[in-house]
Amino acid sequence: MDTHQVESPDMSMTTRRRLIASLLAGGAVIATAPLFAGRASAASTGGSPQRDPADNAALNACLERESRMVATYRKAIVGLTANDLTAMTLILDHHVAYADALKGYLAVDVVNPSSAPLASPIGSIASIARQLAALENQTATIHTDTIGQIKGLDAATLLASIVTVEARHAAALELIGGASPISAVGN
Amino acid sequence: MKNTSTSSPISRRTMLRSSGALVATSAVLAACGSSKPSIARIGESPTMVKLEDLAVTDVVLLRTAMSMETMAAAMLSDSAVTSLASKDSAPVIAAFAAGHTSHLEDLRGLITARNGEPYSETNAKLMRAYGQTALDLVASGKLPEDTLALTLAVEALVASTYQYFVSLTAEPALRAGMVQLGGQSSRRAAIAAQLINGGTVGFAPALDKDGVALVATLPNTFGSLSTVQVKLGPPNEVGSRTTVLMDTPSLNSLIY
Repeated sequence: MDTHQVESPDMSMTTRRRLIASLLAGGAVIATAPLFAGRASAASTGGSPQRDPADNAALNACLERESRMVATYRKAIVGLTANDLTAMTLILDHHVAYADALKGYLAVDVVNPSSAPLASPIGSIASIARQLAALENQTATIHTDTIGQIKGLDAATLLASIVTVEARHAAALELIGGASPISAVGN
Repeated sequence: MKNTSTSSPISRRTMLRSSGALVATSAVLAACGSSKPSIARIGESPTMVKLEDLAVTDVVLLRTAMSMETMAAAMLSDSAVTSLASKDSAPVIAAFAAGHTSHLEDLRGLITARNGEPYSETNAKLMRAYGQTALDLVASGKLPEDTLALTLAVEALVASTYQYFVSLTAEPALRAGMVQLGGQSSRRAAIAAQLINGGTVGFAPALDKDGVALVATLPNTFGSLSTVQVKLGPPNEVGSRTTVLMDTPSLNSLIY
């Protein structure tokens, strides 16, 4: 009986092992690429971190402010009708989204925020708008000050996108409250 | 019993021999090579100039912000706008232009404090890309409502620019300054939108009876960084108007 023992299986075993090792090495490189990309991005902003745990306290304060704005708008819309109700509900939804975004960012580091309303706006739509405009201005200022304190770029970017719209809320509400266009800008 | 052991066609020795031969051949071929380009070329080829390695620093962002504020002031005070603006909107637009000019002083101080050189020109690339086109369309359309539409677009653009710059700024205190300046433009955008479509009815995005989107004071939940679009100029033969696309400055339009 002739037995033909071919050695090539041993070689192919080695090749397969090498192939697997190469794939693992390649996978590791791909997995670490975003890490290096993150470093490159941070390098363009003077080495600012994307996140900094030291920012959490200030961000929790922003979250609390947004939660209280939500509660305030929930009180303010009671009794409103038609377009006024639609407009104020839209702003209420914005604040709900801001609170959710901050909660999402903080994740397990969220400290249960107070949801006590900041005011109880009542009266005509003009009167309600004036009170809410003042609160919007204060909220935008709180967030802007926070941007100046925190180190993390991601949180600063998130807050900047919130302040941009809250500035619009404030100006529009001031206009509804009876301010002139030029004074509503606050130049 | 005959045991025939067949080794792999590529043994270590064969591989070393082949590699050696390959290296030797490569060395011979490389030595025969010429430094002159082998592809025939007709005419003169330009000398390759290596691009300067430029960094996006805080000063670069501030200088670019100055160019954007100057551009906004120039566009809002251009004769194409001032000559067409209505009696009610003209003083508002003029105040907005003055607001941009006043921001230049703030920015100048921030730049000199960082040993940078202030920039007092408009952003030439963006003026060429869409600024001048927008003004030409307003002038040719002769529609007073275009002046407020352009004002809204310019203010939204400046607000987006500052918002975008926050993600590029290294110094946290300066990020807050950027947001503060952008917030002013954001407020002006809201006022311009209210002058176009006023009252609480104008807050939320909506459509008119023909299904055309109306101007909304609060079009987004979060500040948008997408292209600002504005319809300007005379309607064409089918009744549609030119849409001008305005983008925030990018790497090729920053003022280094």
